[in-house]
Amino acid sequence: MTQLLFKHINVEGLANIDVYEKHGGYETLKKALEQKPEEILETVKASGLRGRGGAGFPTGLKWSFLAKDVFPRYLVCNADESEPGTCKDRELLLKNPHLLIEGMILCAYACRVEIGYNYIRGEFYDLCEIFEKALEEAYERGYLGKNILRSEFNLDIHTHLGAGAYICGEESALLNSLEGMRGEPRLKPPFPAVEGLYGKPTVVNNVETLCAVVPVVEGGAEAYAALGTEKSKGTKLVSVSGHVRNPGNFEVVLGTPTSEIIEMAGGMREGRKLKAFIPGGSSVPMLPAGKVDTPYDYESLQAAGSMLGSGALIVMDDSANVVKETLRIASFYMHESCGKCTPCREGTRWLHQILGEIESGRGKDENIELLQDISDNMSFKCFCPLGDAAIAPVLSGIANFREDYEELLSQAKAGAAAE
Amino acid sequence: MFAFSETSEKEIEKQLVKYPPERKKSAILALLRIAQQQNGYVSAEAMEEIGRRLDLSPAYVESVCSFYTMYYTRPVGKYVIMFCINVSCHLLDCDNLLEHTAKKLNIQVGETTADKMFTLLREECLAECSRAPVMRINNDYHVNLTPQKIDQILDSLK
Amino acid sequence: MPKKTQTETVTLTIDGKTVTVPKGTVAVDAAKTVGIDIPVFCYHEKLGPFGCCRMCLVEVEKMPKLATACTQAVGQDMVIKTDSPKAVKGRQGVLEFTLLNHPLDCPVCDKGGECPLQDNTFEHGPDLTRTEFTRYNRDKAVPLSPVVTIDRERCIACQRCTRYSDIVEQETALVMVNRGFQNRVQTFQDRPYDTRFSGNVVDICPVGALTNTTYRFKSRIWDLDNAETLCAHCGVNCNIVVGVRSNEFMRVQAKSGENSQANDAVDDGWICDKGRFGYGFVESSNRVLKCRNGKGDTLEANDALGQAATQLKKITDEHGPQSVGFIGSPYGTNEELYLYQKLFRQQLGTNNIDFKTYRQTPGLPVEHYDVGDIETSDMVLLIASDPTEEAPVLDLRIKKSVSFFDVKLAVLNDQKTDMDKPAASSLRYNVGSEAEVLSALIEALNDKPVRGLEKTAGIAPKQIKDLAATIQGSGKVCVIYNPAALTGSASDRILELLQTIGGLPDKQCGAIPVAPGTNAVGALDMGAHPNFYPGGLALSDSEKIKTLWGDEAPLQPGLSALEMIQKAASGELKGLVVFRANPVVDFPGGPTVAEALKKLDYLVVHDMLETETTQLANLVLASNGPGYDDGTTTNIGGRVQFRKRSLVREDHPPDWVLISRMIRALDPEAPSYKNSFGVTDEISQKVPGYEAINKNAIKGMGMPRKGSACSEVQGNGAPAAEKSENGALRLRVANYLFAHDKILDASSPLSHHFKSSTVYLNAEDAKALGIETGDEVKVVSGDAEVSAEAEVSDRCNPGAALVPRVSDEQGLMALVGDPDAAVWVQIKK
Ligand SMILES: Cc1cc2nc3c(=O)[nH]c(=O)nc-3n(C[C@H](O)[C@H](O)[C@H](O)COP(=O)(O)O)c2cc1C
Ligand code: SF4
Ligand code: SF4
Ligand code: SF4
Ligand code: FES
Repeated sequence: MTQLLFKHINVEGLANIDVYEKHGGYETLKKALEQKPEEILETVKASGLRGRGGAGFPTGLKWSFLAKDVFPRYLVCNADESEPGTCKDRELLLKNPHLLIEGMILCAYACRVEIGYNYIRGEFYDLCEIFEKALEEAYERGYLGKNILRSEFNLDIHTHLGAGAYICGEESALLNSLEGMRGEPRLKPPFPAVEGLYGKPTVVNNVETLCAVVPVVEGGAEAYAALGTEKSKGTKLVSVSGHVRNPGNFEVVLGTPTSEIIEMAGGMREGRKLKAFIPGGSSVPMLPAGKVDTPYDYESLQAAGSMLGSGALIVMDDSANVVKETLRIASFYMHESCGKCTPCREGTRWLHQILGEIESGRGKDENIELLQDISDNMSFKCFCPLGDAAIAPVLSGIANFREDYEELLSQAKAGAAAE
Repeated sequence: MFAFSETSEKEIEKQLVKYPPERKKSAILALLRIAQQQNGYVSAEAMEEIGRRLDLSPAYVESVCSFYTMYYTRPVGKYVIMFCINVSCHLLDCDNLLEHTAKKLNIQVGETTADKMFTLLREECLAECSRAPVMRINNDYHVNLTPQKIDQILDSLK
Repeated sequence: MPKKTQTETVTLTIDGKTVTVPKGTVAVDAAKTVGIDIPVFCYHEKLGPFGCCRMCLVEVEKMPKLATACTQAVGQDMVIKTDSPKAVKGRQGVLEFTLLNHPLDCPVCDKGGECPLQDNTFEHGPDLTRTEFTRYNRDKAVPLSPVVTIDRERCIACQRCTRYSDIVEQETALVMVNRGFQNRVQTFQDRPYDTRFSGNVVDICPVGALTNTTYRFKSRIWDLDNAETLCAHCGVNCNIVVGVRSNEFMRVQAKSGENSQANDAVDDGWICDKGRFGYGFVESSNRVLKCRNGKGDTLEANDALGQAATQLKKITDEHGPQSVGFIGSPYGTNEELYLYQKLFRQQLGTNNIDFKTYRQTPGLPVEHYDVGDIETSDMVLLIASDPTEEAPVLDLRIKKSVSFFDVKLAVLNDQKTDMDKPAASSLRYNVGSEAEVLSALIEALNDKPVRGLEKTAGIAPKQIKDLAATIQGSGKVCVIYNPAALTGSASDRILELLQTIGGLPDKQCGAIPVAPGTNAVGALDMGAHPNFYPGGLALSDSEKIKTLWGDEAPLQPGLSALEMIQKAASGELKGLVVFRANPVVDFPGGPTVAEALKKLDYLVVHDMLETETTQLANLVLASNGPGYDDGTTTNIGGRVQFRKRSLVREDHPPDWVLISRMIRALDPEAPSYKNSFGVTDEISQKVPGYEAINKNAIKGMGMPRKGSACSEVQGNGAPAAEKSENGALRLRVANYLFAHDKILDASSPLSHHFKSSTVYLNAEDAKALGIETGDEVKVVSGDAEVSAEAEVSDRCNPGAALVPRVSDEQGLMALVGDPDAAVWVQIKK
């Protein structure tokens, strides 16, 4: 099993810089500083590393989009991890904060950035303290600050705590939040690489992405690209949750069959059968058991009708009712809709209302069609992708598990007849 | 009247240096948090004070404050229990655990116990899904919850 | 926010029509140019693209998703379809979402008839609502302030109002709180939304969520007659639309993209709250509706004006032309003031004509800048001016220029104002030291050493030098100043400063004098000045004067307004016409002015409201005034616009008719005019600078008149700083927009803004005097005293007492003697 990010994850005290260094920590940085920034950028590009925050955008390419010759530039690490089902960034931050720091330094060096922020979701107050402690250690050893390891390269990293808003994981909302505003998404273009934080070119990357930069630079582009599939290189942390025996975060080589990942998590519970799984967090369509052998990579999951998303594999066995879970998820999006745009603000609430009716046995047959049409009226018409995320479970649930809906609807009919 | 304590002032200083001086608005989330840490919640007076500190209108401060769920604008209990009810926890029966907790505290979700010790709230995904069910009490996570474990935790806080 | 002019263009197709527009134009605006109306809610051209309502979805070829036409910048060869099935379904869906929680209130909603939501629903809407749920529960009509009502039930969260408060007003007083469907437009803790510019949100709200409280339920839109006209309060001359039903005043709106087209050269489509809610005077119970004599007998207008003319003529026959005079006001139109000066110069043979009590002569040594020039300047130098209180919409323009066009703002003032916030630098000199400060600045600009003026002016030479350096380093400099706030020789120094800046190498310089009143610029242009004929012709320019006004034209210098009062007191002045002014309250001296006026043999007061001065008149001529009379005014930027009447009076002639009849009473040969434009035409012939002004030329946006060059700038007299004696403080009279006077009377919907008399003291002085904030004190000068509440603040430097003029009742002008001399006051507990 290839372990890049999780190689030492369970080493006692890894969050301490001594322990981290003992396991090879900051060696990659030392070697990298001997290279030119462009070389590091090239390596990341050539490795095929894609963003692990959800959208899967090629990381090196994103870095190369930074507006030329505009300074200062900023690096923002997205540690807002809020996508339901996702808990990998938390584990990295909790146990291996120095890996992230090293990754951020590498990124900053490659992108000629001198100020970085780690936007940590407010609920991770504990992790913020751990991360700040690690920053202190890194400053003490000269990995941060002025003239890092006598390379004339300077970098300061600060933490910034969020305060409870899923939408602040969306990069432009995150930047607004970092600037002290309401976390409403911004109009794009301009993209952050051109006008990001404080109107300056900004790289925004997920925790896992930045961590992965360390092994990419350490082992070289070729070695990294040798792992995985044609379009999905390297390894991915998968958060497995729900109805499995041993839920947890697992680092898998991209392309590993989903069923194998479920096995890693101990498989299904005693006497239960797989019914549905959501491969990439609540924002992606759920798939039926029949698709469980789909290779876990960007392109295969897309071909199967879903997405890899943030790498959160939520497993439901035959005890689950898809309508009930969809209602939960719908309630989440209603709660997290920032309210800026009409279709999402109104649509998430309407979907929730109708699903609530169906779930509580008051649904009507035509509700299914209405759910679909409301979803269609939201689809790609919202200001940001949250609106599209909100309809994914609804549409996929109806498409793949219509029987769960129909069962509740027929109960409703029976109930009405009895009255 | 609201005034930041000495400890808070030190913390504010630490926060303000993170941002370019002409961008001190960035510190608004931090100042709201510090005010809440100090007084348990963010009062209207605190918002006005934060506005003065950062050259922002009090309305602006309220607008930002109200966007984020982690700020309380009314007093809460000494311990705020945030119970994750999102899908991964839901699959593992968090509904019953929440009900169990509410019963034990003898309050409804959203309420504070009479002795002002506990406030019980529903919370969206806390990002500990593979150790569901999960709750947060103030800044501490509690995972793999069972009724017994909840009883233990609550008793230890009393 | 639209950036500065873009010259490159792109060509594209919208619904098959070819469109060429400047690069960067958004699709909505591009479509408008070929008559295609893409529905919008959140988009507002003055607020910039935002994209939240999603109403404007269109299909763009080669783009997988529908695009919002309000945010989509058009590109070369783009093909946009607004009517494809996909686009239509998209918009229908959005509309359904928008209406989901919106009450079906149209029949009782004030917006009904001019509501974009209603219109879009008719045009693009779904036939039926498919929701069976009760609407989200929000509050119905509650006051947001005494003049604005909010109906949160109707709000569609377009954020126009909150963005306006942030981007335009720049106060973030109105904000969005909460998130998701629970979001809510609100002020801090639901306190009143009472900024200077709050009413604009009523115009821009695309639904009936924000309404004008004074108009609520008064009329239906379709019953209104709308007149596009001008505000008659301050010198900005904002464009307004007055709604009238059966000759009854209903409401004022800004003239904007919402109802017509905004006049960007003047107001950018915004007005202040005084302009919107301060029109109660047109129907005030205090109006002078009929002419009357001193005994109170009502007179027919023609009889009254005839009496006035012959009586004045009789006085000049007996006592010579210097025995009569005219005190006009900056609230008259060009036509009215022109005719009055003509009456006094041609028929009565005197130059005793004035309209103000401060020192100012017509003409500038540099260009007279239009308001729009502020945006294209590199630097704005604001001197002794408090736009927020004196010319509010100018405040918005300056803030916009600073925020969006990188204009550097430097403030020189003796008091703290709202303009300090956007200012890059802000110098506060001691009250009364402006002449010295301006002299120092001139020296610095001439690269001469700057004398120490910390003691006398409270400013360090370094600060002056830095300011001079900024001016020197800026290509285009716009100087905005309030001539009425400059004391002593500062009125000469300001011209010298302008001359100096204008003379710097590679410099464009212009000025905008912002004096109180609607038409101070026009009044000067029309020759309401004892030493200048219309068009800034100095009396010394006798040749030109004779050509224009005949050989009989009086060339003897006239009396200024204050001199007329003095001569009235001494008995030398026998007859006086006061036109729309209230010297008894507004002139320095207060009650002593009344005493002087009582000595006159013949006082004619021509006014629209009863005042302390009409009470003294031997003859009162009823004036219609703004609202009822047509005429032109010239704004602070020198732009001449037409102020159309919105209401009609059948029983009384317009002022311009009344005055022209007075002229004809003395000279039957004098012309009579068909309408007010007849007078305008004569002005174009007789007033240098106004040659191009006529009815057609000023249609729409108005037109700048040509400013006159100023006669020689007075030499460099180093001002002697006056010294305080026995702890007296120097009085500074400041302005307050919502002063409780005859125009904003007790019944005004703005009365919640009325303030009690306050004296602002610097902490240093307050300590020495043992005075604290909240103390009731008397401000005393000689025999006169004014009660006030003390407020200790840094509004002015030590050594001064600043008192805003807050009401007629306050009697503040009693403290002031010669406005040119320092006024020293004692503060007594
Ligand atoms: C509604 C929404 C929520 C998101 N939440 C997160 C998040 O919690 N963490 C994250 O890294 N990216 C999140 N993203 C993705 C970010 O917008 C962005 O694509 C990502 O941070 C880029 O980093 P990457 O390229 O390294 O993945 C979210 C996107 C959306 C639309
Ligand atoms: S889709 Fe619209 S309402 Fe929903 S989160 Fe994004 S911007 Fe906000
Ligand atoms: S009150 Fe009107 S302008 Fe303001 S957000 Fe609501 S609908 Fe828009
Ligand atoms: S700024 Fe002046 S002209 Fe404009 S509306 Fe206000 S008072 Fe009237
Ligand atoms: S008008 Fe385009 S999104 Fe609102």
